[in-house]
Amino acid sequence: MNRRDFLKGLVSTSYVVLSGASVLAPLNALAASGAKSKDGWLTTGSHFGAFKMKRKNGVIDQVKPFDLDKYPTDMINGIKGLVYNPSRVRYPMVRLDFLLKGHKSDTTQRGDFRFVRVTWDKALHLLKDSLDEVQSKYGPSGLHAGQTGWRATGQLHSSTSHMQRAIGMHGNFVKKVGDYSTGAGQTILPYILGSTEVYAQGTSWPLILEESNTIILWSNDPYKNLQVGWNAETHESFAYLAQLKEKVKQGKIRVISIDPVVTKTQKYLGCEQLYVNPQTDVALMLGIAHEMVTKKLHDEKFIEGYSLGFDRFLPYLMGESDGVAKTPEWASEITGVSPEIIRDLAKVMTKGRTQMMMGWCIQRQQHGEQPYWMAAVLATMIGQIGLPGGGISYGHHYSSIGVPSSGAAAPGAFPRNLDEDQKPLFDSNDFKGASSTIPVARWIDAIMEPGKTIDANGSKVTYPDIKMMVFSGNNPWNHHQDRNKMKQAFQKLECVVTIDMNWTATCRFSDIVLPACTTFERNDIDVYGSYANRGILAMQKMVEPLFESLSDFEIFTRFAAVMGKEKEYTRGMTEKDWLIKLYDDCKAANAGKFDMPDFESFWKEGYVHFGEGKPWTRHAAFRDDPEINPLGTPSGLIEIFSRKIAQFGYDDCPGHPTWMEKLERSHGGPGSEKFPVWMQSCHPDKRLHSQMCESKEYRETYTVQGREPVYLSPVDAKKRGIKDGDIVRVFNERGQLLAGAVVSDSFPQGVIRIHEGAWYGPVGEDGSKEGGAEIGALCSYGDPNTLTQDIGTSKLAQACSAYTCLVEFEKYQGKVPEVSSFNGPVETQI
Amino acid sequence: MNREPVTDSAINQARGMVYQLLSSLFAKEVDHQLLHELTSEQAQGFWAQLASESAFKADVDTLVSVLSELKSDKALLELAADYCGLFLVGTKHSASPYASLYLEDAEGGSTDEPTLFGEQHQLMLQFLKQSQLQVQSSFPEPADHLAVILAYAAHLCNTADEAAQLEFIESYLNNWVGNFAAKVTQCDSGQFYSALTRLTQSWIQAEVTGLRAEQ
Repeated sequence: MNRRDFLKGLVSTSYVVLSGASVLAPLNALAASGAKSKDGWLTTGSHFGAFKMKRKNGVIDQVKPFDLDKYPTDMINGIKGLVYNPSRVRYPMVRLDFLLKGHKSDTTQRGDFRFVRVTWDKALHLLKDSLDEVQSKYGPSGLHAGQTGWRATGQLHSSTSHMQRAIGMHGNFVKKVGDYSTGAGQTILPYILGSTEVYAQGTSWPLILEESNTIILWSNDPYKNLQVGWNAETHESFAYLAQLKEKVKQGKIRVISIDPVVTKTQKYLGCEQLYVNPQTDVALMLGIAHEMVTKKLHDEKFIEGYSLGFDRFLPYLMGESDGVAKTPEWASEITGVSPEIIRDLAKVMTKGRTQMMMGWCIQRQQHGEQPYWMAAVLATMIGQIGLPGGGISYGHHYSSIGVPSSGAAAPGAFPRNLDEDQKPLFDSNDFKGASSTIPVARWIDAIMEPGKTIDANGSKVTYPDIKMMVFSGNNPWNHHQDRNKMKQAFQKLECVVTIDMNWTATCRFSDIVLPACTTFERNDIDVYGSYANRGILAMQKMVEPLFESLSDFEIFTRFAAVMGKEKEYTRGMTEKDWLIKLYDDCKAANAGKFDMPDFESFWKEGYVHFGEGKPWTRHAAFRDDPEINPLGTPSGLIEIFSRKIAQFGYDDCPGHPTWMEKLERSHGGPGSEKFPVWMQSCHPDKRLHSQMCESKEYRETYTVQGREPVYLSPVDAKKRGIKDGDIVRVFNERGQLLAGAVVSDSFPQGVIRIHEGAWYGPVGEDGSKEGGAEIGALCSYGDPNTLTQDIGTSKLAQACSAYTCLVEFEKYQGKVPEVSSFNGPVETQI
Repeated sequence: MNREPVTDSAINQARGMVYQLLSSLFAKEVDHQLLHELTSEQAQGFWAQLASESAFKADVDTLVSVLSELKSDKALLELAADYCGLFLVGTKHSASPYASLYLEDAEGGSTDEPTLFGEQHQLMLQFLKQSQLQVQSSFPEPADHLAVILAYAAHLCNTADEAAQLEFIESYLNNWVGNFAAKVTQCDSGQFYSALTRLTQSWIQAEVTGLRAEQ
């Protein structure tokens, strides 16, 4: 047909589009003048650093480090990709089958991405209806809203505070104790050293640099991990690491990295490595202790004056109680470290000033309490706890710990709990005989086996019958272990709600998904310099919330309104009011000590700087006078033997540090005949856990064929016919994943590394079909928690044991599936 | 039937209406009201006329047939879920309707620009501003969303000369809608949106051919 005739025919139908009014409108005066968002530089910050951002034509254009950050991480290059990400949660969404059938939906469909868009109003009413249903049917034990974690920075919009205050105004719920990072450490150390230690300020770097002769980095990679911080990081630790590098070069400080792997820190410092078989650190420590006793190298006076129970430990060490002397020869068999080196270590560590710096990885394994306890015993035997440049620390790789603190007060946060006179809509505290607080990593077990009673830290915990989970700014489908077990558990849940900015795997396995805006789409306030409390940062809104996303404050204020509790929630204050209040309260707390300008001047300047702090030594007061300044342990002293722990009667955590075989261990240990390789899933080098993995351009700086790298030794690669750059299938009886091979001399035979935080991207089991929701799916991107073991460290901490994990791997021969973790047309071939 | 002589401006209005209709269908899910209008008697005549062009027939028939079967809330929700999976969530099943994603892909690499709200978004904003237009605040999407570009094409049909129309359609629609249609066809779990996207592609091709012939 002739085009003109055809068009004439169209005219003749005289059809007019009525609804779906045009997406275009006449330009209004405000937008025409561009007054809505002026271009230019603003100040803001994140876990990755404080920085400045430039706005151009209403979008974020450039990012440059904060003037006071002299060692910025290149992760700030990923920020724009986080904001303008195709996997943004753009609108409130509800899983279709949940919308149709509510709490009776087919939960096997969770994970298959069949969602529909709903209005905010509808979504928030659905949330309330679900909470109503769970509270009235099951009571508070049916709801778990306590899985929280590394929310985005900002004290006002802290996602944990908002979610828990708002959900708490509706009703009570199950909460967690502990965290995935340091679960075993923070549970055992209060018995031994009187505090969690892992989150405590440590001896200042200037003193360490001045006084230490030897620094032992035990399973510790500060140069990698200090790139990110709990608050807006300004990376001051790196100046001290640079000085340490110089001292190593000059031979003034000896740094020994005890680790199966050549770490990033070791490479940077140019220091020594002592290889140890994975998971055998306690045996190595016992061998060193045995040598100290044999050669009388230990400080008997310090042990006598500052600790309790060495006499109860000694018979075990010398083999009198169990017939096995923990000699260097004994330790050598297990650890792969020669007796000579062990003997030498005992000498080195007791000569001159020795600072032990423990990383967190070795407590994220079965019996993870033991290496921390035994390390404290070694430090006690060395006798330098409380001296500058000596003793032991458990956090020098974290959030600027060791940078002298300014001593200023940091701004408070939006309240996480209800105000004193406030009552929830559902006020029942009847947990039906179950515990209201459970160890953080045991929630999947609870969903699987409600009513079961377990031992935990001297108490009995009875698992609640959890029917509903609410997550905000938290991605347990990254940090929890064993994806296939998680899928089974999630099928038992009636309702899952997630609030986040991008489509994490947790969103994918939810029923209601609500879009939060990013840090850069709202105004906030934060401390910078993390533990150093170096100053206060204005986090200035760069752009309006994208799509229909909202700030945490706005989301939960609206939800509170649905409950009829808006005023209670906000205390009648706007976002701006809260921002000024948090600042003014902080100003009042610092009055007379640190000058702070009024809010408007602060906001204009972008920050308030508190200045340098004074060097400080951990445990110095205790050393000075243990009676006046006792530790927080039952005896006030370092407890080498803990009567309290012994009384618990746990077979997997007896009264003194003990070497115990693991369920799975490489290098000749249990299970290594079938799955000979140990997989470590440590904190990533180029992300904060799973945050930033979705930032495409930045991700492409490290991926291999679009997959997460698996680092492996040349020996293992050759044995399996794998070349650098190949796609590798890593598997065990728990699951399977694809990753991209990086063959590296830094890794010994029998050890591979896949960084945690790699976004879970399930596809069909054989990689050839669509899928993901089903058990056994193949992870197309390389999430190591597809393979890890979901067991507690022991009856004491019941903490995450991701590091007790054996695998096998092979060159992948099957059909290579598209990576399904992130999305987006650009990700896939057409 | 309208028996008046058909003017160029009436023809341009009819073309604009097609762009506007396509824009509306990409802008949001089909709700009860839109369904009612799309299945009205007038609309039936319109669809029939559209299907008289052989290049459009198969896809128009699919659209009409799917629309005629949307008889329950559940059926509408299923179609909304198709829409959501394709256009609203960034997943492997998605075919986000933003020009920048397909143009970058076609050039075989990423650029320094942000993936969303990037260069194409800025270019479209400029076009809109020149025409004293902006994206509705109730449509919080980047300006390189297909619905915005189609709506702007509708606007041009009624306000610009044919050379300017051709240039815009060639530079801002015809260069990526093919990739987009292929992706939608690959990902669509239903039939409606793949047919709609193919129809859009065919319509644009016919437009480009027709407008070129008239130059």
